[in-house]
Formats: sequence, C-alpha cells, structure tokens
Amino acid sequence: MRLIIPRACLPQPRGPSLARAARRWYAFQAPGGPVFQVFNPRTKWLQKERAATNVEQSREADYLKDEIARRVSERLLDIKRQFPRVLDLGANSCNIARALTQEIVDPDPSVPVMPPLSSKVGELVAVGSSEGLLYRDADLEFNNEIQLTRQVLREDETLPFEPESFDMVLSSMSMHWINDLPGVLAQINSVLKPDSPFIGAMLGGDTLFELRTSLQLAEQERRGGISPHVSPLADVRDVGGLLQKAGFTMLTVDVEDIVVDYPDMFALMEDLQAMGESNAVLGREMGPIGRDVLLAGNAIYKELHGNEDGTIPATFRIIHMIGWRVSEDQAKPLKRGSGQVNLKDILEQK
Amino acid sequence: MQPKTRPIKRFAAAASKCSAEATVYGKCIVVDYNSVHKDKCVKEFMKLKDCFLVAAKGAK
Repeated sequence: MRLIIPRACLPQPRGPSLARAARRWYAFQAPGGPVFQVFNPRTKWLQKERAATNVEQSREADYLKDEIARRVSERLLDIKRQFPRVLDLGANSCNIARALTQEIVDPDPSVPVMPPLSSKVGELVAVGSSEGLLYRDADLEFNNEIQLTRQVLREDETLPFEPESFDMVLSSMSMHWINDLPGVLAQINSVLKPDSPFIGAMLGGDTLFELRTSLQLAEQERRGGISPHVSPLADVRDVGGLLQKAGFTMLTVDVEDIVVDYPDMFALMEDLQAMGESNAVLGREMGPIGRDVLLAGNAIYKELHGNEDGTIPATFRIIHMIGWRVSEDQAKPLKRGSGQVNLKDILEQK
Repeated sequence: MQPKTRPIKRFAAAASKCSAEATVYGKCIVVDYNSVHKDKCVKEFMKLKDCFLVAAKGAK
C-alpha cells in the first residue's frame, strides 16, 4: 500500500539557497540609480549665460521672475521667526534678494506699507550655475540692503553644503529645469536644520500650453510630425508626493496662473529667450524652428487662443510648495478620534 | 550707426501684414484640430506664405 502524504505536511526543506529564492523583491529606484535625463544642463547654462550678456534686455524680461520671487518671499510673512542663514537655490539674477529688499505694498490702500522682509533674513546665500546671470546685478543698490553672498555652482543638481547648515531654503523659477527632482529635494532636506522650512516655486502643469499646442499643430500640418518645443513639466499632483518622498512634513502645495498677453508668438518667444527659458529638452530637434512652422504657428496661435484685441495670452502656471524638515519638537496633528468638539456644531452655529 | 534689427523682429513685422491670410489658414486648422495631417491646409498656407514673402521683400 502506498502512503499518501499531502505536500503541505512534508517538512520544509531548510537551507540558505532556497530561503533566498523565496524572498520577495520590490521594484524601487535605489538612490544613486539611473535618473531619467530630460533636460540638457549644458544647453540651459549656455542659454542663461547668453541671456545675461544683453543686460538691458535681460532686465526687461525679468518681469515674470521678479513677480514670482515677490510672491515667494511674501510667504515669509506667515512665519514669525528670524532666519540667520538662508539659501536661495537657483537664484537666476538674485530675484529673491531684490524682492526681499522691497517694501510690501498692499493693494488695499488702508493697509500700511510694510518694511522690507530683509530684516528677517541674516545672510542670504544665492547660488546658481550661470555666473553671468548671478552677477548681472551685482552693482545695483539692493545689494547693500541685504547681506548677500553669491556662489557659482558647478552644476545645478549637487549642493556643496554641510548638512543642517541653513535655517531656510528658498527657490524660485529654476527647479523646473532639474532632471533629478527627487534627489535635489532630498539634498535640500538634508542641508536644512531640523524644523526649518523650504519654500519653492516652479513652473509646472499647463504652463505655455497655448504655445505647445500651436507649434504642435503647425508642425503636424507643415511637416507631418512633431518635436518637443515646450518642456514636460511636473504636475501639481506629483509635487506633494515628491516632497513627501524627500522627507518633508507639513506640506503645502498650491498653484496659481499668471497670464501674460503678448502682441504675437514671436514676442513671446523672444522674451522667453531673454529670460533664458528657451527649450533645453534633450530629445529636441537641433537648430532653430523652420520659418514655415513659425509662420503657421503664429497664425494658429492667434486663431485658437487669441484675445479679441489681436493679442495672444500665455499662461504660466506656478506651483508653490512649502515643506518642513522633520523635528522632534515640531507641532504634530493630534491622534485620530481625540477631538472633543464637534465641528458640525461650530459650523452650524453661524 | 543704426542698431541692427534682429531677424525675428523683421519676421514678425512682415507676418503682421498678412493677418487676413493668417486668419483663413488658422480657421482651416482649427475647424477640426483633432485630425490634422501633413498638407491639410497647403492651399491656405501658400497664400499666407506668398503674402509674407511680398511683405518681407517690401520691408528691406
């Protein structure tokens, strides 16, 4: 008679080789692993250097960066604290330093004009890879009103600073050119002291969707195919996850759209070039856009998106983000279910 | 010496003189922009380009 033993009752074979084979592996991106390269950092550097050589035009095209730097620095009003050492990452032409030295004028005339925010900041370290742009305004008045240190980075994606050496990190209008955004955010987190904020703003989402669609349609019709002319950008939904992955807590992410009107597509592209924000996508077609495509793109832009008065709108979507470095003594949310007051009662009393 | 006008400025000036043709071309594309293929509006574009070339020549 044959003895039938069910498989499950058999003693488990022991030994390291089988145990290893049974271990489960998860797909994840190890730190230091390959990063998907989207932008060409050298092209970006060249474009910024080139933009800075024409000082007058470069200053004229700074309207967007100045406005966003102002909105970033106004967020300091919400934090009642002094910041002895602050890093401005990707400083462009030190727009944040300029914004910090300006008086804050409220649109409501009854609100008194507030003194500049530079009193809250001790030393501001402005870093960027483009030397020309960084030192463009080094001899202007605002340099004397704030303790400003400029430092040229060899590359934008490596921060050569000691861990826990800054009381705040600011960044305005430069993180949308970074290839390894998770890596840079993790580095920002590590150079911050515990319980210190990172306040950043970058272009994202639907920025320049009008230009993107018009050029796509024009290339499709004229040449039968398309090449990228506007960068792929991070979406609002991604940014929260990125900040969390980098170890930040108490996140705030919000967006705002700034719509600028231009006379035609050429004026928009000229301004983008003067800002140093022209196309630096790696997979792009080299050389200028053909004249036929430009002519067709301008016509489509006007027809598809144009305003009634003949101008064209360009949307810049700015993603603002705030994250805090974790600390033991930080305010934390209470435990779930520990609330004593019913919110419904309060809201219904009104 | 007069400062040299950038080519893009001359291009924009010439293109702005052909707004009527540009509107016709734009309408041809926009009327059904989900099915754009090569040379879909080649007739309208050639009219726009002819006008542009004349305007660009006149500006020099």
